[in-house]
Amino acid sequence: METSSKEEYTIQSFDLETQKLLKTALKDPGSVDLEKVSNVIVDQSLKDQIFSREAGRICYTIVQAEAKQTNGNVFRRNLLNRLQQEFKAREETRKRSTQEWVCLVSFICNIFDYLKVNNMPMMALVHPVYDCLFRLAQSDALKNEEEVDCLVLQLHRIGDQLEKMNLQLMDELFNLLRDGFLLQEDLSSMGHLLLLEILEFRAGGWTLSETAQKYYYSEVTD
Amino acid sequence: MLPYTEGHWRGLTYTRQQFVREYENDCKPDENRNKGASRWSHCRKRGADGSLRKSHAVEEPGKCSQSSRRPESFTTPESEGPVSRVKNWGDEVEAEEMRSNVQRDMHRYRRRILEADFPQRDRKISSGSSDSRDSRDSKESPAKGDIETDEATLIRRQKQINYGKNTLAYDGYIKEVPKHMRQPGVHPKTPNKFKKYSRRSWDQQIKLWRVKLHAWDPPAEEGSDVQQIEVIDLGEIMDFELDVECSADTESKCPTSSGASLSLAKDSFTGTPKKMMKIEDTEMS
Repeated sequence: METSSKEEYTIQSFDLETQKLLKTALKDPGSVDLEKVSNVIVDQSLKDQIFSREAGRICYTIVQAEAKQTNGNVFRRNLLNRLQQEFKAREETRKRSTQEWVCLVSFICNIFDYLKVNNMPMMALVHPVYDCLFRLAQSDALKNEEEVDCLVLQLHRIGDQLEKMNLQLMDELFNLLRDGFLLQEDLSSMGHLLLLEILEFRAGGWTLSETAQKYYYSEVTD
Repeated sequence: MLPYTEGHWRGLTYTRQQFVREYENDCKPDENRNKGASRWSHCRKRGADGSLRKSHAVEEPGKCSQSSRRPESFTTPESEGPVSRVKNWGDEVEAEEMRSNVQRDMHRYRRRILEADFPQRDRKISSGSSDSRDSRDSKESPAKGDIETDEATLIRRQKQINYGKNTLAYDGYIKEVPKHMRQPGVHPKTPNKFKKYSRRSWDQQIKLWRVKLHAWDPPAEEGSDVQQIEVIDLGEIMDFELDVECSADTESKCPTSSGASLSLAKDSFTGTPKKMMKIEDTEMS
């Protein structure tokens, strides 16, 4: 399987040796240590924000390649279990480094987006993802623009899928966001803007009306 | 100025604070093996209107749902197992995949039965004819009564099939003999997991099938070793009850041989197929 240009671009952040490992994993998964590959990917995704948002695609490709070649799912199993470990330690991670924490959330959500099981999202990840988003919706997180930004990004990307999997939780989450928007005093104005946009986004059926799009995303000429 | 009084909002604010408190409880480093459930179950501590239900997690984060096998029904998939209390995501997703594969197979199978009953071109008025592939099913509508639908059973059977297919012998077999070239009785056929069989019957079919597949084992030692194994196994089968269906095909007889190496066993089987056929006939009517 050829490495598509998008994947090429994504793995450029790695050192050359690791790049080689990943490329081989994409083409000939049976010949590499897939546990190592999954660790490499998770490690990087916790450090590199851009990678954390795009790594899902690579993971998906490797999973498919392995299934086709050896009918195995060593990579997926290792990836998920490693991810689970990181998820369990998320509160410590958040205390240690907000950046790592938002990377973790982005990565988990990206995996949720890309790694489907028979074209269905992995049910096992629904609650963990919601957990992360609920955490981001807490008042101590909402006051950090970085965390609000992460939260709204995930909702833009996978909000509709998550809602389909569990409507009640999504409703509850948005109750929190509404609360935060209205009541929280230490929200930055950017935080306010981000929350308002996501409230409108969901209210519009996970899309922005044209006018709202213009409002939020057009250049304002002074 | 907000049009609502502080009191009105207090409910919601309280909810949020409560939620935070639960979070802090949940995120304690835990030694509890049920960590999966207690971590996630706080999400469902609220009712649909947002108000908080009594949460076990707040009191004893470690103790949550130790009594029930699966604390909250939708955190862990509802399958027969292997259900250990601590489910890792790898296992969970594999179980999910197994379930959805089995469901998909079932839909396909049902469609296939329907097509066999009502072939597109010529509509035959079948009265117990054994033309269609699954003649026994064609008389009645291919409803639930006729096929195995219990998910746990299907998953168990699928796992057994997977073990067999995950062998070098099977790989060799399908490479050597394309499907359309398969001769019933001669070439092993995967047991049909959707047919109704007793547990013993099914297990025996699997055993027979796997024995037959051994004929395609990659050559390690000489063939005589393989033959020996086969004879022993077939000896067991000979003693088996008569109500066992050896084959998944209704039209084929019980397999008499599974390959050239079974010349010895072939003779001993001469009597059996006829008996099997009789039984199949009676069952079919």
